[in-house]
Amino acid sequence: MLARIRIALAAAVVAAGASGCGLGPGPGTADVTLTVTRDFGSGQVATITRSKVPGSETVMRMLERSLRVRTRYGGGFVESIDGFSGTADRRDWFYYVNGIEAPVGAASTVVHRGDRIWWDLHDWSATESIPAVVGSFPEPFVHGIGGRRLPTTLECADDVARACSQVTNALDADGVPVASQQLGTGSGSDSLGVVVGTWADVRDELVASLIQRGPSLSGVYARFAGPGELQLLDPRGRVVRALTAGAGLIAATAHYSSEPIWLITGTDPTGVLAAARALTPARLRDHFALAVSGSSDMPLPLDGAT
Amino acid sequence: MSYRRRESPLHAAGALAGCAYCLALAAAALVLSSPLMLGAVALAVLAAAAAAGVWPELRRAALWAVPFALLIMLINALVVRDGLTVIVRLGQLPLLGYTDITLEATVYGAVLGLRAVTLILCGALYTTAVDPDQVLRLFRRVSFRSALTATIATRMVPVLIRDSRRFAEAQRCRPGAPPSRLALMRAASAGVLDRALDIAAALEVRGYGAARRPPRAREPLSRHGLAFLGSAATILVLGIVTRVAELAPFRAYPALHAPLGAATPIVAGALVACALLPFVDRRGVQG
Repeated sequence: MLARIRIALAAAVVAAGASGCGLGPGPGTADVTLTVTRDFGSGQVATITRSKVPGSETVMRMLERSLRVRTRYGGGFVESIDGFSGTADRRDWFYYVNGIEAPVGAASTVVHRGDRIWWDLHDWSATESIPAVVGSFPEPFVHGIGGRRLPTTLECADDVARACSQVTNALDADGVPVASQQLGTGSGSDSLGVVVGTWADVRDELVASLIQRGPSLSGVYARFAGPGELQLLDPRGRVVRALTAGAGLIAATAHYSSEPIWLITGTDPTGVLAAARALTPARLRDHFALAVSGSSDMPLPLDGAT
Repeated sequence: MSYRRRESPLHAAGALAGCAYCLALAAAALVLSSPLMLGAVALAVLAAAAAAGVWPELRRAALWAVPFALLIMLINALVVRDGLTVIVRLGQLPLLGYTDITLEATVYGAVLGLRAVTLILCGALYTTAVDPDQVLRLFRRVSFRSALTATIATRMVPVLIRDSRRFAEAQRCRPGAPPSRLALMRAASAGVLDRALDIAAALEVRGYGAARRPPRAREPLSRHGLAFLGSAATILVLGIVTRVAELAPFRAYPALHAPLGAATPIVAGALVACALLPFVDRRGVQG
């Protein structure tokens, strides 16, 4: 009997160890960046880079360790960061890890090596969910999701060869190998997709149909009114500007809990090339999505006053 | 656990002073968060109980309250996600999700538990040291029926305990295994409504329903009463000043912050001394 109890206890200890249980914080990780902004990245609150991060660090713990934070609901919901707090009129703190909206609370999201954590205080009256953003580029392509790097597929339309080559080079520069495939193939599960083409080329793609249905479904504050007009929306989802020839868009979205798909598109091949040239960390930094027209960048959602 | 007149300054102080004293201690436990200060309040209540001769009753209440406090601590440690110092990693748990037990959540749970124990002890001290009939007389001018209901409610517990004892004795006379505590509790609680109806019927027969607001009757406060009222006021002021002036600072989240300056032990000592000072004068406490 005693032997059986010992065996059961030993099995329980082994199972606990295998499932990540244990005493103390466990081994740490490194090179994590925390960015805190407001109004869809337009106002900077703080940027902190940690070369060493203690074990069992969650997104919430890292935030609390770095800044003045007030929480609610037993530490699961952020009320204010450094004095900036949400308001009753649909304005709250949201966070993204490697440019992807986490499916669970910050207290349950574990920090991994190289993660870029981004907290933003914004109006969510147009959409409760923004599945993916482009402002953490080159993430999620370099360090992936949940500490797991995913393969990247690139789908290019035939008439945007220069833009396609620009995107390939931009990803190559960050050490991200891409697998080229036919437009319309789909990236499938467990891989990140990048779709490049004019709106007329990509309009039947899943990512395009999500964007076309507005921010409430895609989290992207832009849509096309026909192949020749790109409409830019404000935080409340209202059209505040329309771009025509030579306009491009870089945006990311996801269908439910699937991996994100990036769309680099435009009203015409010139617009697509302009968008592809904007695929750099410096130009995408802290933007949810980016519209380009010639050499001018317009972070989305667009401020109503712009 | 019920009131019985004993030879102690607290019992001699009267209902007003006794109520104020117990309420002041409970208010201090609610206002203060520092573990040292809460410990001081709990110590004051226990020492007051010993000085009032109700130590066995409070000991029993404390034994009942400690597992309750441990449960509060455990739930807080498991449920609260705040805190930076991970002491145990539990990984993914059903219902709770990703769970780490942090030192801060555990300590704060312990503080909540200590507060619950202190409040239970304050309640136990009130039940054993303050005459419920005097409380009824005290409040009957304000609201006769409410005072009567409150007094009867506090007396229902001893009534039910006596009922349980009678049930236990009766069941021991029957053959077979003795009844479990759960069965006894079920039998006693099933009779609560019957007992309440008995009491209501008795009150109606005695004309309580037709009672009018009694005339004002000023009862002079005894020396002990004044001492306990003074003690209650001092405890209350001390608790509020300590809280407002942050003389005993304590913050659990995100990291533990409880600097032990010179002021904290002094205030804790002062609180215990204030609570016990009225017990020094034992003249004229014979019932």
